[in-house]
Amino acid sequence: MASGSGRRGGLRLARILSGNVNSYLSSGAEKASTAAWRSTGQLSSAEIAPFGARSVSGQIVRNRLRSRMVAASKLRNVQVKAENSRGLWQPFTALLGDAPATKVDKKLIVTISSDKGLCGGINSTVVKYSRALVRLNALDHGPDDKPAVVYVIVGEKGKAQLQRDSKKLISLYFGEMRKQSVCFTQCSMMADEILKSNEYDAIQMVYNKFNSVVSFLPTVATLLSPQQLLAGNQELTGELDAYEIEGADTKEEVLQNLGEFQFACMMFNAMLENATSEMGAQMSAMENSTRNASDMLDSLTLTYNRSLQASITTELIDIISGAAALEG
Amino acid sequence: MSGAAAGAAAPYWRNAGMTYISYANTCAAMVRNCLKEPHKTKALNREQVYYKLQTYQEGEPQKPVVRETPPAPPAKE
Repeated sequence: MASGSGRRGGLRLARILSGNVNSYLSSGAEKASTAAWRSTGQLSSAEIAPFGARSVSGQIVRNRLRSRMVAASKLRNVQVKAENSRGLWQPFTALLGDAPATKVDKKLIVTISSDKGLCGGINSTVVKYSRALVRLNALDHGPDDKPAVVYVIVGEKGKAQLQRDSKKLISLYFGEMRKQSVCFTQCSMMADEILKSNEYDAIQMVYNKFNSVVSFLPTVATLLSPQQLLAGNQELTGELDAYEIEGADTKEEVLQNLGEFQFACMMFNAMLENATSEMGAQMSAMENSTRNASDMLDSLTLTYNRSLQASITTELIDIISGAAALEG
Repeated sequence: MSGAAAGAAAPYWRNAGMTYISYANTCAAMVRNCLKEPHKTKALNREQVYYKLQTYQEGEPQKPVVRETPPAPPAKE
């Protein structure tokens, strides 16, 4: 592969250089010094040739290439799942609406981030949006002592960033999500825990929606509690009244069930989209870092070669002038 | 989130403290158990759960709790 030809090119250059050295030297004493030089392995052996640096780095570049292929296939799998799960929440939004600007008393912010690093800026954007939501909420309510906003953090990286300044506001933390691949049972168990542990009027989920391999949009999904839904939205209740609900359920119960199920579906979709964005960001981060590393490697190799040639030339000049001084 | 609004009786599962999500998932687990063999193990393996939950009291993290489904052999639930 690339490194093999690089190594061969290095060998060729090493031979040419040693050939040049031999042609410059005329007397036998200098040949001894060259022999000594060669025995230290600086010019002769391929592995620790001056261009040995290129062969080691070729290995690293090949590893990066391989892990990029792996990431691409993982991305495809999760992307399919995420796109299929979008159909879960779209009917909910059509029915219940999406109202990000609602002013409520108690808010729950679910921040979805990744566990692993090396995924570009997606975690910082999610944390930035969550903090902005908290500040917006503070603006709405004036200087209240009681925190009307509570965090639920999913993912290691989000916790690391939010713990620094918002520790008092955190209520729950879910970690080690990626040990098993994301499934609906897992998301609904998490949603269940969140519902049982907190009283809230609205939930705002912050996650990265997957647009394409290079573009991830930070998204806020707002879910109102059933009481809020009934209170705020007159047309919704009017619409629901037009339907006859069978069984013993009342409209409030149906709305409550729907609200809880909506949360579970949105959680499922948000986790999948975030996982897809994480894979995509990892791929592009690795690709960028590979490209930067290759560029840096090339420029450093050139600098190294130049300085090596300069030092060889200086040595030659010393030897030749010494020899000339001896003769003359 | 307490039970139903005034008037109607809440369904039995809500009285027992379950949310609709846990009710729906329990029903789904029962349906998965009714599958025939090769599909059953596939479905059960698909829905494995593992996560760690850590509650925070007054800004201090409490001891984390692991929630997982044991990778069950097909006979068990």
